[in-house]
Amino acid sequence: MRTRKTIGLAAIGAAAALALAACGGSGGSGGSGGGGGTATKASFNAGVTHVVNPSNHKGGTLNFASSSGIPDSADPGNTYYAQMWNLTRLYAMPLMTYASCPGPCGLKVVPDLATGPGVVSNNGLTWTYHIQPNVHFEDGTLVTSQDVKYAVERTFDRSKFPLGPGYYPSLLAPQNATCAKAMAAGKTTGCYPGPYVDRSKNLMGLNAVQTPNSTTVVFHLAKPFADFNYVTAIPQSAPVPPNKDTGANYQLHPISTGPYMFQSYQINKQLTMVPNPHWNPATDPNAKQLPSKIVLTFNVNPNDVDNRLLAGDIQVDLPGTGVQAAARTKILTSNSLKAQSDNPVSGFEWFMTLNNKVPPMNNIHCRMAVEYAANKTNNQTAYGGPYAGGTIGSTAAPPNVVGQKHFDLYEATTKSQGDLTKAKQQLQACGHPNGFSTGITYRSDRPKEVSVAQAMQAALARVGIKLTLHGFPTASYTSNFAGVPNYVHSHDLGITVYGWAPDWPDGYGEFYYIADGAAISPVGNTNLGELNDPLVNSLLGKFATENSATVRNSYTSQIDMQIMKDAAFLPIVYAKALLYRPSNLTNVYVQPFYGMYNYAVLGLK
Amino acid sequence: MAAPLDVAPSGDVAPEAMLSGISAKAIEGRSLGQIAWLRLRRDKVAMAGGAVVIFLILVAIFGPFLVQNPDIYHANLINPTLSRPNGPFGGISVAHPFGVEPVTGRDVLSRIVNGARVSLLIAFLATALAVSIGVVMGIIAGYVGGWVDGVIARSMDVFLAFPLLVFAIALVGVIPSSAFGLSGNSLRIGLLVFVIGFFAWPYMGRIIRGQTLSLREREFVDAARSIGARGPYILFRELLPNLVAPILVYSTLLIPTNILFEAALSYLGVGIIPPTPSWGGMISDAVNSGFYSIDPMYMIIPGLAIFITVMAFNLFGDGLRDALDPRSSR
Amino acid sequence: MTARAPAPHPVITFIVRRLIATVFLLIVVSMITFAIFFLLPRLAGQTTRGLASQYIGRNPTPAAVHAIEQQLGLDAPLPVQYGRFLRGIVLGEHFNAGTSKAYCPPPCFGYSFKNQQPVWPMMVSGLPVTISLAAGAAILWLVGGVAIGVISALRRGTLFDRFSMGVALAGVSLPIFFTGLIALELFSYKWPIFPNVQFVPFTQNPLLWARNLVLPWIVLAFLYAALYARLTRAGMLETMSEDYIRTARAKGLPERTVIFKHGLRAALTPIVTIFGMDIGLLLGGAILTEVTFSLHGLGLFTVEAIQNQDLPEILGVTLLAAFFIVIANLVVDVLYAVVDPRVRR
Repeated sequence: MRTRKTIGLAAIGAAAALALAACGGSGGSGGSGGGGGTATKASFNAGVTHVVNPSNHKGGTLNFASSSGIPDSADPGNTYYAQMWNLTRLYAMPLMTYASCPGPCGLKVVPDLATGPGVVSNNGLTWTYHIQPNVHFEDGTLVTSQDVKYAVERTFDRSKFPLGPGYYPSLLAPQNATCAKAMAAGKTTGCYPGPYVDRSKNLMGLNAVQTPNSTTVVFHLAKPFADFNYVTAIPQSAPVPPNKDTGANYQLHPISTGPYMFQSYQINKQLTMVPNPHWNPATDPNAKQLPSKIVLTFNVNPNDVDNRLLAGDIQVDLPGTGVQAAARTKILTSNSLKAQSDNPVSGFEWFMTLNNKVPPMNNIHCRMAVEYAANKTNNQTAYGGPYAGGTIGSTAAPPNVVGQKHFDLYEATTKSQGDLTKAKQQLQACGHPNGFSTGITYRSDRPKEVSVAQAMQAALARVGIKLTLHGFPTASYTSNFAGVPNYVHSHDLGITVYGWAPDWPDGYGEFYYIADGAAISPVGNTNLGELNDPLVNSLLGKFATENSATVRNSYTSQIDMQIMKDAAFLPIVYAKALLYRPSNLTNVYVQPFYGMYNYAVLGLK
Repeated sequence: MAAPLDVAPSGDVAPEAMLSGISAKAIEGRSLGQIAWLRLRRDKVAMAGGAVVIFLILVAIFGPFLVQNPDIYHANLINPTLSRPNGPFGGISVAHPFGVEPVTGRDVLSRIVNGARVSLLIAFLATALAVSIGVVMGIIAGYVGGWVDGVIARSMDVFLAFPLLVFAIALVGVIPSSAFGLSGNSLRIGLLVFVIGFFAWPYMGRIIRGQTLSLREREFVDAARSIGARGPYILFRELLPNLVAPILVYSTLLIPTNILFEAALSYLGVGIIPPTPSWGGMISDAVNSGFYSIDPMYMIIPGLAIFITVMAFNLFGDGLRDALDPRSSR
Repeated sequence: MTARAPAPHPVITFIVRRLIATVFLLIVVSMITFAIFFLLPRLAGQTTRGLASQYIGRNPTPAAVHAIEQQLGLDAPLPVQYGRFLRGIVLGEHFNAGTSKAYCPPPCFGYSFKNQQPVWPMMVSGLPVTISLAAGAAILWLVGGVAIGVISALRRGTLFDRFSMGVALAGVSLPIFFTGLIALELFSYKWPIFPNVQFVPFTQNPLLWARNLVLPWIVLAFLYAALYARLTRAGMLETMSEDYIRTARAKGLPERTVIFKHGLRAALTPIVTIFGMDIGLLLGGAILTEVTFSLHGLGLFTVEAIQNQDLPEILGVTLLAAFFIVIANLVVDVLYAVVDPRVRR
């Protein structure tokens, strides 16, 4: 299934310290970047904790395939998918990036183009980055701080780059007083319009980013935002040379700062990359330049992708969401194949939101009845079982969010078939002893969601709760249906099937968009359960100014606990993917933030 | 998709009809039917096809009351790790003679039976729509002639210029999931019927127009005109009965085309909305989940259902044509 | 001698008349298509805002939605949008790519809403695949279908006749995607006679091009071959019972001449008409075949366009398909006019 790396904007955060802890990636390891864990022989899940087949052997053609095209854009400034954030590191160096190492170490952000993490001013409003003085574009020009500023400016033009995250326009200080007023009203009048509309075209008109010299970039924020180092780890901060920018066509050939550069790219068909001669391994410890060519083939029949993978014709399935059922059976029933596979958590959690505003679900006991009555095993089966679907979830955040702690309020893992006695007690308490009726929404073009909706229908019927099924197309799911509270209320849609992976792995990145009362919006809503719990809201607000990693982690688990106490979320699974690593692939391991193999370091035997 | 009914009209009704005068028409009509029936009865293959068609119609009407609920999950019949049915051949057993679906464990037999209802419903309604528009337009064009004929013929050209399948999948894709006061499957079925029927009528229209043109010049129409019969009388009492045979034959042959068409749309994911079963949708599920290569029955059973249904209609339609129009004999 | 200009040849007049009619027809088709894709969803309750927000990433802000509405030209009234679309096809279009105005030369079918790239080159890049698929399959089914039809007609009632007509009936009754999947599963995965089916351009490696297309050709041709065999057989049976055939035989012409010169020629005339129409309609069959075999042609492009709800792409490919149909019909008509003077009314 094509799954989207969804996430939202963020607001405030802390912990400059948290991200930057020592790990294989930061600074030192030079050409061998990525050797975080110790090397190991191929065995099941070896790639989750260790680098499999470590090698610096150069040469060969690395083949990727995908059952779709590039999901949004190859332009680092216009993409919002985990697979693309992973892939762009082959041709783009953002200021910060996730450490190239397996295990928890890979959840940390480390400097990439920058020489160190951003330094925040005392008032929390100014972030300063110094960039490496000797990084070059593929044409040999030196990368300067102006190129970084220009890249940030581009993200303000939402008409050319609508698909990427919108953090900079919302976080950076308004261009002027008119803009400040407009923004307060949700408009952009007078705000910086992006470099194409800006009259001082290519003259670096964005006031909020300053470049005092060619290696320094200073960001001025509207409000403190302690998570800013995570924001600059999004590929959008990768430098773009203003005189080489081709706007909406830049996706056809982004000017590389990474180990590879585009040779040819036909949208939805094929992308070929070759080594970038101006790339210097010393400046980019998080990536490697091993294969002599990288070819990505798009729109291959999903089953065919797997067959080619198992046959060794291709080495990587680009989306990183795991093999299809047929290949899964082959892999799991063969010891030798299974030893060449990994089953990591992907960073996604699939869950249902139980709406706080739709009667009778506005009564917490009715929501708890749903929690108890759900058959979590069948839900898990609907998503593909323990390997392809994931581990049964009991918390609102998945385990690769820093600070997440395990707990289980509704016997999801202990009585996974459901606890009908407790469900009936809750129904009694909610005043509907014989059950009630409500609707469940799901994305009708996603078979797993269709299955889980049906599984819920069958499970809740056991206690008299009647579910009506309402499937909508993914494209308009949040824009026209499940994300429009008025629609949800008028159609009595009490349960919504959804999934989420954070833009960065902490409590703020995870929860702001799906659980903060301030995130409820009349259209395109992502807080689908319309949870507006003061405790959750205030804890999320505290992230802005809290710098201690320990305290932030405790916020994360408190918010998680509170959401579950509210019975606002019904977790389905912490998503997992069954990944296959062909034996000729080297330096293979799962980058835990992306939940798939680290594409920046792969090589061939 | 092949153009439905590429078959050129054979340009003539059964010779018996030629002999008919006005007064003898009723009797002739009956005897034409009797003769055709006699011929049809002798055609064993067509009769077999007809029997299967009747069986399928009965299944579509009554079957869903006789089988289990097609939406019930049987998680206990599914291997929780591999999501495939326990047991060989897709979990075929006494309780589930056609096996169960992977992932959900839903009974395949009941999904096939319910799928028959949807498939036939859409095919019949779409055919009825195409035939009604086609017959009305064809008769008017052929009988009135002149500029009316010109306009209708040109509009048929326009409709025939639309790439039907491309158009159908695109249209279903862009219409919001609730519109025109309908939503869910009633909207989808309505859309499918509309698209298939509305863009297939010119095939029928052309045939009927041709038939009407040739009938118009016949003696019995002249005779009716000469004794003072007016347009509507001639249209409905003289022309229509003589058009029954081609209408019947081409409707029978249009149905299987429409069944295939609906299956193709469901295969491409723009047909019936799950969980309502449809044959094309079942094949599509089997393919998209990749299960068809480890659980081939998951795909073969709905495939065979489509095949048998379409084949039966084709056999019966061929036989019917031969019976009504001996010149096109095999 | 008067100075009267010589009357143009009737065939020329006919062709010119038909060409004008064809252009007119295409304009009407484009209008209806445009209305259906842009107007109908609106009547059904779709808003410009809702449409625009489909082409934005997560959490569209109202400002971003507005920017996209403007960028995609959705804020203009529909007739203006249609006018722009038509003008783009005839005169080309300037598109604001950001850094500069990109010019999209005619025929410009607009820019994709999804990836902001011109639609026409994307469609053109799919053409070689679809044409390769269609041409190979067409030859296969025409030759195969007609040959089987003729032999069956001549050996009416024999085992060959019954068997081939049985297979033909199965052929027209099987969904093309079902045959395709079975073929792919058996001959590409289970017994990898044709492994790794993917399109290789003819110019790059003709052998591989052919090998990789064999399965799709056979699958696509199977359906049509069956149809053509049935039609040819029926046509042959009818012609062979005509009086002039009897006359020809009575004249003592060799049977071979009778069959090929007199019988087949007459029986083939309707086949040619149908062939023309089927070629025009082939995109339909190509969609299912290309989806089944993951061939990156126009058919797969269509399905992707629909999955992405990319209206300019959908509009473009629908019109292109209509264009093929209309042109195929035109060619058939013209051929007829050349061959048969009675048609030039």
